[in-house]
Amino acid sequence: MNALAHKMRRVWRSFPYRIPAVMGLVVVLAGAGWTAATLKQQRPLAFPHQRHEGLFPVCTGCHEGIPNGDTASFFPSPEVCARCHDGSFMPQVSYTPPTLPPTNLRFDHNIHPAYLEMAGDSALECGACHVQPGGLHMEVLPAPRVQTCLSCHAHKASEHQVDADCSTCHVPLAQSGFSLSQIEAIQPPPDHAADDFLAGGHGVAAGQNSVRCATCHTQDRCVACHVDTDRKEIQAIPRAPEGMQLPAASAEYPTPATHADGGWLGKHGSQASRTACATCHTRNDCQACHLEPLPKPVKSMPTRDQVVAPGVEVTPRPPESHNSMFFMKNHSTLAASDAKSCATCHEESFCVSCHDGPSQGGYHPAGFVAKHAADAFGRQAECSNCHNTTVFCRACHMQSGLTAHGRLGGSYHDADPLWLLRHGQAARESLESCTSCHKQTDCTQCHGVLGAFKVNPHGPDFDAERAWRTNPRPCTFCHIKNPLDGGGQ
Amino acid sequence: MSTPDKATVRYGPPKRGGAVLLLSALAVGMWALTPASVTAQALRGWVGTNVQAVQMRPLILDTIPASALELQPDGTYRYQGQAVSCVVAELCTVYGTADPTIAWAATEDVSFTAWGFGVQGLSFTTLLRGRSDMGSELIWPRTNDRFEALLAYAQLVRGPVRVRAGRQEIRGGLGFPAFDGASAVYTHRGLGIELYGGRSLARGLREPANTALQGLDPYLVDQSSYLYGGSVRGRVSAATFTARYQRELLADRSGLVSERGSFDFATPVPRGRLSGSLDYDFAMQKTGKGNLTLGVPFDEGHWLVELVGRRYRPYFDLSTIWGFFEPVSYSEGEVRTSWSPGGSFGAWVSGGYRSYGDTHTTVILRPLTGDGWRANGGVRWLPSGAWSVDGSYRLEWGPGGFMQSGDASVRYAPSDAWGVTASGQTFQQVEEFRVGDGRALGGGMSFDLGFGERARLTGGFLMLRHRDGGTRTLSPWNQTRGWTSLRINVGEDPGLANRRGS
Repeated sequence: MNALAHKMRRVWRSFPYRIPAVMGLVVVLAGAGWTAATLKQQRPLAFPHQRHEGLFPVCTGCHEGIPNGDTASFFPSPEVCARCHDGSFMPQVSYTPPTLPPTNLRFDHNIHPAYLEMAGDSALECGACHVQPGGLHMEVLPAPRVQTCLSCHAHKASEHQVDADCSTCHVPLAQSGFSLSQIEAIQPPPDHAADDFLAGGHGVAAGQNSVRCATCHTQDRCVACHVDTDRKEIQAIPRAPEGMQLPAASAEYPTPATHADGGWLGKHGSQASRTACATCHTRNDCQACHLEPLPKPVKSMPTRDQVVAPGVEVTPRPPESHNSMFFMKNHSTLAASDAKSCATCHEESFCVSCHDGPSQGGYHPAGFVAKHAADAFGRQAECSNCHNTTVFCRACHMQSGLTAHGRLGGSYHDADPLWLLRHGQAARESLESCTSCHKQTDCTQCHGVLGAFKVNPHGPDFDAERAWRTNPRPCTFCHIKNPLDGGGQ
Repeated sequence: MSTPDKATVRYGPPKRGGAVLLLSALAVGMWALTPASVTAQALRGWVGTNVQAVQMRPLILDTIPASALELQPDGTYRYQGQAVSCVVAELCTVYGTADPTIAWAATEDVSFTAWGFGVQGLSFTTLLRGRSDMGSELIWPRTNDRFEALLAYAQLVRGPVRVRAGRQEIRGGLGFPAFDGASAVYTHRGLGIELYGGRSLARGLREPANTALQGLDPYLVDQSSYLYGGSVRGRVSAATFTARYQRELLADRSGLVSERGSFDFATPVPRGRLSGSLDYDFAMQKTGKGNLTLGVPFDEGHWLVELVGRRYRPYFDLSTIWGFFEPVSYSEGEVRTSWSPGGSFGAWVSGGYRSYGDTHTTVILRPLTGDGWRANGGVRWLPSGAWSVDGSYRLEWGPGGFMQSGDASVRYAPSDAWGVTASGQTFQQVEEFRVGDGRALGGGMSFDLGFGERARLTGGFLMLRHRDGGTRTLSPWNQTRGWTSLRINVGEDPGLANRRGS
C-alpha cells in the first residue's frame, strides 16, 4: 500500500502541469458549487407533499378552489402554513403560492370528477392525474399525466396539430394571456403548408371551424389581410385583448386562379360582389378603373380608410381585347356593340381627343401619314368618321399640289394620260378618295346638264324618285328643271 | 412655274401667330400645376400641348417644251420618264416639286370633368382645343381654326338615368356624330335605351356644315341641320348588341341629310367570339358597311385565328351630289392570325382579298382592276424588360394604289419613367399618291419622359428620303417630320392617368 502511495506520489511529482491542474480543478469545483447554490435559491420551493402526507387526507383541504374553478384559492395562502410553522411548534417557512403560468389549455376540474367516476375512479381522486399509477397519495407529480387525458380524449391522428377540435383542450389565443415569445413558438399545423392554403384552403377551414383558427390566432391576424372583416368566420374569432403583443403580420394576397384567365377582366363584372371581391379588394381598387356612376357591387365594397387591411393595390390594366395587335383597327366594332364597357374606364374625351384630327395621335400607327394613300383607297374604316374630307383631306392635298387644276389631262392619275377615260370606274370603286382632292364642281363641269359631256353619273340602281323625295336640292346642282318631269338629260 | 393656290384652303379668321396659343398654354399650365389637393375631389382632367411640323416639297404643275417630249411606243408622251398631259402637242405639263417648305401645327387641349356642385350626380365635362399654324407658309389642316369646343356638356346621373345637355358626341355604328343638344340614357339591368337630338355639326368638325365649309364648297347648303336618333343596347347572357337609328334633316325640313341605322353585336360562340356590325341607309335603301369577325383562340390563347368578312360601301350626306353617285361596295375576306408562345415573343400575319362590285361604267382602253389584296405580318420580341424590338411588313395592292412597306423599331425603356425608340422604315408607293418606282427610306427617334405620375413629355422626328431608283423622277418625295407633346393630368383621373399612348 505504501509502495502504491509512493509510486503515485512519484508520478504526481513528475507531472509538469500539476499546479495549473490543481488550480483548474479548484475553479471548476467552486463554480459548480456556486451554480448549484444559485439554482437552489432561484428555483421556487416545491411544496414537499410527501412530508405532509399524514396531515392532509384530502387535496381540497389546501386546494379548495380547484373543484369550483376559483383560481384565487387554487393554492393555500402562506397563513395556512403559518398555523403550524409558527416558529415555536414548527420552524417558520417561507412560502409563496405559485402563479399560474399563461396557458391556452382548457381544463375544467369541475366537470372531470363525473367523467372519472364514470371511468371507475373516485370522484375526488386527484391522483388519477397528479400521481403516478400506484404512487402514494401525496406523491404529486410536477405536472399532470397527459396519458390520463388521452385515455378519454383520444387524438384523431398521431400528430398533435391536425384537424381535430382544438377547443376541446385549448382556449382561444385571445384568452390565453400568451406572451409574444409564446405565440411565436406556436408551430403551424401541417395543413398550413399546403400550396393553396392561403389562396383558398384557410377560408374553407375557417368556414368549417373558425374556433380551430382562434386557438392560435386572434381576429387581428384576419383583419391584417381581409378587407371584409364583417364575415361571420372572422367575427367568430376573438380580438386580442388590450396590451397583448402579437407577431407582426404582413398582408399577403395570392392571385386566385380565376384571375389568371386572360379574359378575366372582361368577365369579372358578372361575378363581382362584395362577398366575392372584398376578401382582398377595397372600393378604391375598383375605382382604379371604374368611373362614376359606380356599379352596384362597387358601391357595396368598403373603402380603404374603413378597414385595417391595405387591400390589393390594383394597377389599372387594359382588358384582354386591348392586347390584341389588331385592337386599334377593330376597336370601333367593340365600342359600337358595347360602348358601356368602354365607359367603364374611359371618359368621352379619351375618344374624342384622337377622333378629331391631329392632336394626341395614337389611333394610326407611327408613320401613317406618309403611307396613308393606299389605306385611303382600300379603306376598312370610314375616314370621315373623324376627318372632314373637305376641310381635312382636301386642304392638305391642295397645298401638297394634289389638286385638280381644271385640266382634263391625267398626268397625275396613274401616270396615265388617258385617265379621264377610265376615271368612272375608279370613282365608283373609291369615290371617297376622289372627294379628298376634288370639289363637287369638278364633277358637275362634265356630268351636269350644263356640263361639257352631260355624262350620267348615276348607276343602274339609282332610284331617282326616291332621291328627289329625299332631298331634291342636290338634283338642282346638275339639273336645271325637275328631272322627273322631263327636265333631266 | 405655278404654286398651290393657298387662298382656296384658308378658312376661318385671319391668323395672328401663336401669341394667343402661348398665352392660353401658360394659363392652363398654371392651372394644371395647382396642387392636387385643391382639385382632387372637384376636378379631374388633363392638359395637352402638341406641336408638329413637316418639311416637304409640294407638287407643282410645270410646262414642258415640246422639243423635250419623248414619244412612247403607245403614242403617249413622257418627259424624263414622267407622264405628261398635253392639250395639244405644244402645250404639255408635268408634275414636279416645289422648294421645301414647312407646315407647323400646334394644339392646346384642355379637358376636364368637374363635379361637386351640391347636386348629386351633376358634372360638367369639356374638351377645348386651341390651334395655331405658328405662322408657317404651308397650312396644316385646320390649324387656322383657332378655337374649338370639342365637348362641352353638363351631365346629371340619377340612378339608372343619365342626361346630358350641351355639345356632345355619339359613338356608335354610324360613326361619331356630334351635335349641340340633349341626350338621355336609361339603363336597367342589361338593357340600355338612348335618345338624343339637337343641332347637327359637320362630320369631323364642331360647327354646322353651312358655316364650317363656307368658301370651300360651292354647293354648300345655306342652312343648318338637325339630327335625332336613339339606340337600344342590350346584353343577353354574355352577348351584347346595339341597334341604332338616326335621322338628320335640314332646318327647314326641305330635305334629308341622312337617315341611317346600324346594328352591332358581339357574342361568345363555342371556342371563340363572334362579332359583327352592319349599317343601312334607309333614305336610299342601300346597305352600307358591314363586317363579321369570328375569333378562335387555340393553345390556351397563345394562338388566335380570326376570320373576317367585310363589306364596305362609302356613305355621303344626301346634301351632296356624291350621295347620288352610286358608289359600289367591295366585299373582302380576311384571315388574321397571331401567335405568342410566351410573354417575350409574338408574331402575326394577315391576308385579305377584296372584290369590287360591277361599276357599270364604260371604260375605254385598259380597265382598272376590280379587286385588291392586302397582307400584313410582323414580329415583336421582348429580349428583356427594358428592350423591345418590332418589325413588320405590309402590302396593299388594289385599284388606286400599290404600296409595300417595312417598318422596324427598337425601344429601350428601363422604367415607366422614360423610354427611347429608334425606328426605320421603307416603302414603295406607285400609282396614286406615288413616289414612283423608287422607294422612300427613313428613320427616326422618339422618346417619352414622365415627370412623376402626372406629366409626360413625348417627342420625336422622322426623316424620309426618296430614292428614285434611277428613274430620274422630277418629284423627290423627301419629308422630315417632327413632333412633341406634353400632357399633364390634373386631379384624380382613374380612367386616363398614365394610360394614354400605351
